[in-house]
Amino acid sequence: MPRLPRRAVVWAAAAIVALNGFVPAIWVLLTSLKSESELMRLPITVLPAAPTLGNYVRVFVDQPILLFLWNSVMVATLSTLLCIVVSALAAYALVRLRVPAPGVILAVLMGIAMFPLISLVVPLFQTMRGLGLLNTWPALVLPYAVLSMPVCTMVLVSFFQDIPADIENAAMIDGCSRIGALWHVVIPLTAPGVFTAAILAFVNAWDEFLLALTLSSRVTSRTLPVGITLYQGEFSFPWPIISAALIVAIVPISILIAVFQDRVVGGLTAGGMKG
Amino acid sequence: MTRSPSIAASAAPRPKRVPLSPIERAERRLGYAMLAPAFILLAGVVVYPVGVLLVGSLQFNQLTQPWMGTPFVGLDNFARALTDPRFWEATGNTLLYILVTVPGAILVGLGLALLANQPFRVKWPVRLGLLLPWALPLVFAGLIFRWFFEYNQGVVNAVLIAVGIGPKAWLTDPTLAFTATCIAIVWKTSSFVALVLLAGLQTIPRELYEAAEIDGATAWQQFTAITLPMLRPAIVVAMIFRTITAIQTFDIPYAMTNGGPGQSTETLAMFIHKTTIDFLDIGYGSALAVLMFIVSAAMTAGYLRYTRRDPRMGE
Repeated sequence: MPRLPRRAVVWAAAAIVALNGFVPAIWVLLTSLKSESELMRLPITVLPAAPTLGNYVRVFVDQPILLFLWNSVMVATLSTLLCIVVSALAAYALVRLRVPAPGVILAVLMGIAMFPLISLVVPLFQTMRGLGLLNTWPALVLPYAVLSMPVCTMVLVSFFQDIPADIENAAMIDGCSRIGALWHVVIPLTAPGVFTAAILAFVNAWDEFLLALTLSSRVTSRTLPVGITLYQGEFSFPWPIISAALIVAIVPISILIAVFQDRVVGGLTAGGMKG
Repeated sequence: MTRSPSIAASAAPRPKRVPLSPIERAERRLGYAMLAPAFILLAGVVVYPVGVLLVGSLQFNQLTQPWMGTPFVGLDNFARALTDPRFWEATGNTLLYILVTVPGAILVGLGLALLANQPFRVKWPVRLGLLLPWALPLVFAGLIFRWFFEYNQGVVNAVLIAVGIGPKAWLTDPTLAFTATCIAIVWKTSSFVALVLLAGLQTIPRELYEAAEIDGATAWQQFTAITLPMLRPAIVVAMIFRTITAIQTFDIPYAMTNGGPGQSTETLAMFIHKTTIDFLDIGYGSALAVLMFIVSAAMTAGYLRYTRRDPRMGE
């Protein structure tokens, strides 16, 4: 093959993949910079004729988007922490301690944790209602921790296995307990794995919609996906505000993904669990 | 890709029936204690609610009629589902979503993976191009595509007008609404498939292609004789994951059409949600959820069975 077309093919391939991923978000960004009157005009424009930040002002002033953001950040962070602690303890017990039939226990854990969310919506709604937990963070934090348990446990088990037992034994001879060895030796040595698991758990919680929709009916307890989807216009869907709100919601998670892209790709392919 | 989380293989071999030393017994007790939080969490969030679900599916329980109480009605709720045309329409729609969007995502994902598997000097634009749709909440993808398919202000109709086809009623015609939601689902889910398949592609040794080239194989022959067979395990894993999530399709049709027009894009998950949360019919909703669980359990069992057999489990 001649050299130039080959390079052109590579460039075209890169462009197609990148554009496929970026164009929808870029289109929303362009939309968010257009005034409401420009959005009503036909034919539609591609670039904003007179870029304005008015929609962003309205998102922050007219809508409690900072509250949605706060709810999302807290629910995702707390469920990630809970998931990591629970998964790390379980993974360590399965890899190192003399628990009988660790493979079977792991399979049982996975099987239960992979129970379809939609089937749990009805009874979780009843249970949380009975406990008075509707519209609270724990109503989402607890199920989200379970949602990510399979992927976190898988990733952590595979990383813990690579730590030679001798290193821990040395630490324990120096007077460390088992838990101490896990906390002071194993976790620091497997920090990349722990971190990968944490990012996957965070994204899972950040993206979840069905449970958040069901268990938080009050406006003030909504997460970003629910809050933005349930924005109501008087006659039609308020696209100018929605597009600005989407950008506000997409930017933090995109930065997180961009900064830690190697970890995310590694984690996804090591225990990929998500559609 | 080289990590394998199968624990049994790596655990130290221990002779059977030899009594454990006191230290070993203490270790085992600690092991149980460390597993306890996981099982307590699962008991509270999954096992107990499943019990509530099973009991609820056998009861009459409409929150709109609290004076009726919650009497047991046997399998009445299930019988009602089987004679409810809306249940069958939702089931049919769900199956159609699986049949269209799973192969669709696999094909598009394979295409993206092949394109992304080029020797790029700068890797991040391509990788982010795959990661962004993956990290985007499903419901946001739904909102964005609803905006694309809007009749007047949508970019899709603008393009159709520009090429002389004319605007289409994407979200108000049953067939077109179904098509539009499928396009959104395939766009959103193909990036995950592409990431899994790309990892699979990168494990195929280059020498195989070099040898094939020397033998004069065309690009298409290399694809069918080397790439596809080597990629088969990754494709199956991606397909099973995609199917498990496709059974639960909810977010994207909810955001784009809310099941409409009529019930033409309503899935089982949406029907369960409406029955329970909007119509407050807990008994009937529970029975529907049980039916739904049986279907996904069969699919999950298929997945576990496959990964057990396949040494590449967990990749």
